[in-house]
Amino acid sequence: MHEISLVRSIFNTLESEFSKKELDTMTAINLRVGLLSNVEPLLMQNAFDAVTTAEEKYQGVKLQVELVPIEIHCNDCQSSSIVENYKFVCASCGKPNNNVVKGTELLIHQVHFDS
Amino acid sequence: MDKIQKSTKTARGTVTCDNTTMHLLKANDFVAASIREKMTEKNILLINITSSAGSGKTTLLQETARRIGGKVNMKVLVGDLETERDADRIRETGVDALQIVTGGICHLEAQMVWQAMENLNLEGVELLIIENVGNLVCPASFDLGEDYRVTLIATTEGDDKPKKYPRMFLTSEMMLVSKVDLLEHLPFSVEAVVADARDVNPNIKVLEVSSTKNMGIDAWCEWLLEKVKEKQNTKKEVTA
Ligand SMILES: Nc1nc2c(ncn2[C@@H]2O[C@H](COP(=O)(O)OP(=O)(O)OP(=O)(O)O)[C@@H](O)[C@H]2O)c(=O)[nH]1
Ligand SMILES: [Mg+2]
Ligand SMILES: [Zn+2]
Repeated sequence: MHEISLVRSIFNTLESEFSKKELDTMTAINLRVGLLSNVEPLLMQNAFDAVTTAEEKYQGVKLQVELVPIEIHCNDCQSSSIVENYKFVCASCGKPNNNVVKGTELLIHQVHFDS
Repeated sequence: MDKIQKSTKTARGTVTCDNTTMHLLKANDFVAASIREKMTEKNILLINITSSAGSGKTTLLQETARRIGGKVNMKVLVGDLETERDADRIRETGVDALQIVTGGICHLEAQMVWQAMENLNLEGVELLIIENVGNLVCPASFDLGEDYRVTLIATTEGDDKPKKYPRMFLTSEMMLVSKVDLLEHLPFSVEAVVADARDVNPNIKVLEVSSTKNMGIDAWCEWLLEKVKEKQNTKKEVTA
């Protein structure tokens, strides 16, 4: 798994968006992780703890991981539905559909600062 | 960032940042886009072959190289955790291959492919095949700039794998059921695996192959040659 490199990527991303001064007041990071992103929230949490401890930075920062379900949009009947059990069919008209509109994301959704 | 303007305002409280700048794979996707651009410019068809460890990727590529290595100008990039063995096996067939040793990383990233390409003479090349690291999880998330992703599933594996690794099958153009010469000895059902894969990706193409008993290899090579031709033709349309 590549959770460790994702944690480094979180830090790199934050460091290019915010100043050191801002990051010193950071208290929490919210990730949005699609069910199709192949990221296991628990492993992500462990990797985050491991890296923050090893590199002695962002140590009191909380990581929250929000799982996003898979959503498809049907162009035939113009409706959106949630994919259950990885069966990619439109819930309203029953046609096979893999037009995924949500569920692959892997992004920083929110950053909380104590200021 | 949608709520703050960098450098003019200090980030405070809660900052919501639902846009692509906070996308964690953006570095990979950026390089993948560069690869795609370069391959389009040179009209090289780029194929990314994935599977679990040992499903028969290298054996299939050896057989493919023997068949069409004389017809199209092809090269192979092989990702492997530690060794150079698979590239040696491809080179035995007379096709140029380069190993990317990932040093323990369980997938290829676009940056690794980009660097490897700099050590590969791409002049006149029409087909570049990448053998990814044997693993159906991580490689699914890393776009390498390929035109098509092809995933092997061997008859020695579970026929319910597509739903266990949906991202991979969702993003694959083709599923190759490999080692079909062993079918009669195994509980594996081709019908079941195809149904499972089509639940995830209704459009996925399926071929059954055996690299050791020469089954389905013609159909596979034909598909490849057809796609090479399509890629070559896009050039003529652009320059015409
Ligand atoms: N019976 C049978 N065995 C095969 C076939 N293709 C490959 N094998 C055997 O399966 C084993 C693994 O094959 P490889 O081609 O090395 O598999 P791979 O996917 O490249 O493996 P990794 O690179 O380690 O992930 C070897 O012992 C092959 O001889 C096939 O069509 N039929
Ligand atoms: Mg191999
Ligand atoms: Zn519908």
